[in-house]
Amino acid sequence: MSDITNKDFQFIDINTIQAEKITAPRYSYWASVFRVFFRKRINIILIALFVLLIASSFIIPIFAPYNSYENVTDAKSYNLSPKAAMEYFGGFSFKWIFGTGGQGNSIFYGIMSSARTSLILAVICAAINMTIGIILGAVWGYSKRFDQVMLVIYNIIANVPYILMISVLVYIIGSGFWSFVFALTVTGWLGIAYFFRTQVLIIRDREYSLASRCLGTPIPRMISKNILPFLTSVTVTLLATELPSYISMEVFLSYIGVGLSADVPSLGRMISEAQSAFLTYPWEFWPPVAIAAAITIILYVLGQNLADASDPRTHM
Amino acid sequence: MKRYMGKRILFSIFSLLVVVATVMLLVFSLIKRSVIFQMDDTWNKKSSNDRSIYEYTMYSKYGYLDYVDYTTFLKNKYEPLYGSEYTKNADYKADKDAIQNENTYLENASVQEFIEQSEKKGYDINYLTPARSKSGKVKSGGNGYLIAVHEKSVFLRLWDYITHLFTVETTRDVTDPALTERYIRVEKDPYSGFYAVVGSGTTHKYLLYVNGRFPFIHQNFIHLNLGTSYTKYRGQEITQVINRPTGDQKKTRSQYPAQIGTDQYVDTAIDFHTLTYNYNPRTNTEMKQFPDQYTSYTYQYSGLSMLENSFVTGLIATLIAYLLGLPLGILMARHKDGILDKIGNGYIIFIMAVPSLAYIFLFATIGTTLFGLPYKFANAQVKVLAYFLPVISLSLPQVGSLMKWMRRYMIDQMNSDYVKFARAEGLSESEIFRKHISPNAMIYLVHGIPANILGCLTGAIITERVYALPGVGNLLTTAINGHDNGIIVAMTMFYTLLSIISIILGDLLLAKYDPRISLISSKGGGR
Repeated sequence: MSDITNKDFQFIDINTIQAEKITAPRYSYWASVFRVFFRKRINIILIALFVLLIASSFIIPIFAPYNSYENVTDAKSYNLSPKAAMEYFGGFSFKWIFGTGGQGNSIFYGIMSSARTSLILAVICAAINMTIGIILGAVWGYSKRFDQVMLVIYNIIANVPYILMISVLVYIIGSGFWSFVFALTVTGWLGIAYFFRTQVLIIRDREYSLASRCLGTPIPRMISKNILPFLTSVTVTLLATELPSYISMEVFLSYIGVGLSADVPSLGRMISEAQSAFLTYPWEFWPPVAIAAAITIILYVLGQNLADASDPRTHM
Repeated sequence: MKRYMGKRILFSIFSLLVVVATVMLLVFSLIKRSVIFQMDDTWNKKSSNDRSIYEYTMYSKYGYLDYVDYTTFLKNKYEPLYGSEYTKNADYKADKDAIQNENTYLENASVQEFIEQSEKKGYDINYLTPARSKSGKVKSGGNGYLIAVHEKSVFLRLWDYITHLFTVETTRDVTDPALTERYIRVEKDPYSGFYAVVGSGTTHKYLLYVNGRFPFIHQNFIHLNLGTSYTKYRGQEITQVINRPTGDQKKTRSQYPAQIGTDQYVDTAIDFHTLTYNYNPRTNTEMKQFPDQYTSYTYQYSGLSMLENSFVTGLIATLIAYLLGLPLGILMARHKDGILDKIGNGYIIFIMAVPSLAYIFLFATIGTTLFGLPYKFANAQVKVLAYFLPVISLSLPQVGSLMKWMRRYMIDQMNSDYVKFARAEGLSESEIFRKHISPNAMIYLVHGIPANILGCLTGAIITERVYALPGVGNLLTTAINGHDNGIIVAMTMFYTLLSIISIILGDLLLAKYDPRISLISSKGGGR
């Protein structure tokens, strides 16, 4: 053991800036969200299924466009079971894996094109409604004068059943894809905005918000730092119920006859066309029902789990 | 409180008006009115000018316009002069035929008078020239017509609709001078064996009575007039359409009003509570049957009306949902993360996420194939069995939703201070759950009870369609597909009315259930 001399030491200045820093484990909100989210194995399986579903519903229609009238002149091709269809059209083919419909159309290509319509519709409607709803809801919650006006409007419109509103609108403005989107979004944002108004009201008057208002924090900073972070998990929860609800809504409205027009392939229309024969030709009825159910369940469960993960209290 | 409720009701009426006005404005200004002639056989059979006149009569019937026909004008002119035989008068005939010549009709004095009068009232004159074939003969249905038309604005229609929404029966309703006695009094009702309010001079004889039919107490004082159907139930009143019983006539042993007190009995399906005033003099047979002019009636039927069908199925389903959903939600919360909770959550996700159409068909398949329950309502041998599947289909999603919320609110309450305190006091878990947590969790669910019960009156769209149950749920959707503007407006009114009433009732019930909740914001206490 050698002697310890002064040489072995080196002098370090006191760093007052460093001394003020508190060391804590690095915390990134979104990294934690996804860490918690992917900890559950079911989420990985569901995401894989969902990606597969999106890929097939967007790619298959490109290579095999759906034409419901391709065999309309051939009455023998109507309502064939998968087995009979494959025999009739010569050998195994993915096209006839679910048999043929009431006009000799391929059920498989039909549900793929329809699933694409449903997904696009859900994403567009959710994007429009959530954007308008969140922005207006935030203002609505923050401004007391705006609140009075909006409450009157809300009380009037909330009295009208949503189904009634949409069906009357579709009846009046027609049933193309974009008019359908219009009907779903013209008042759809109101419920979301009201929900957000209440949330903003709650946080606006919390102690920490009052404190930072007293300290003179400007409003934009209040909104971005005090209010919006709190609303992340609420937003995700809402999105988880909103997205599948548009798919259900389309299925429902097409079923009662006020949905998308005949030239847009849609799950609701396929179900409604096959429903009278759901016991005799089950292969026409259950595949579109199953795909609609699959999309909505996957979206719902994924959304709920993401919402759970986006709650910082689960990040421990 | 009274002031608050007054304000509340006024605002509700205001929003109801706004909603109905908006829908009327949209429907009557944006939808082509000619859609009402789709699938109209009478319209198809008529041609040329007759068809145009038929269109005008229908438009005026459905409130699009007011119109006066030249023949009606002539009738009003000549009937006072020559009595009921006026059609044989030569002047009348000349005036009537004048419009059949398109070149000279304007020279006729009556025609000039008609045009002058109508234009003074702001009507537009519309002359339909006789349609002739090449030989100069008038084609069939091609007679010339002269009419005065006045288009009604949507606001006028709205005003008409609102003012005729409720009609109240009074003793001055019957305008027959032959009627001498006018009264409203309580009498013993021979048909129910109980007391009834009977009127004379009112349209209905029985104004308030009880019988064995749901909802057991019936009244005829106030009538809700939602308007008339256009295409689906051509010209019928919608209130009557949804209240008319279906099925076969049901005969019972009864007596005509004049036979009461005697031992004469008849087997008849007549419902004597529905007697209304008849202006035509009684025939000899009717003289023996009825003591007064109240001789018009409707029959009793074995089936339920559309409204009753919807309400009964809906109400049973709602009852089942509350009886099952609340206890299950409590159990799930109590055994949180246990096996029951997991199964329950799976069920909730299934019901919430899967489109309702899908699981209703799933229930239908299971019910018909495994249990042999009747599928379509009309084909059912035993009608009671036909209600099974609709009730189940309606209640299972409600059970899921109630389970979800009850569990959520229970769990939220479980960490409250008062629960910790109760536990510290040594109360048993079951007592804490039963007496402390459940009543507090129920606060959030109480508000929805009136909405759920009144909501049964609006019917269920998919369930009724799948099982072909004749209910009100599909009235709106079939009306939209059949361009029945009358039903669309009526159903908007009906739905909105119910929704407003149930929100108000919900608030009142909530304030009653939880005394801490006050509907009126107290001065000083609030911020």
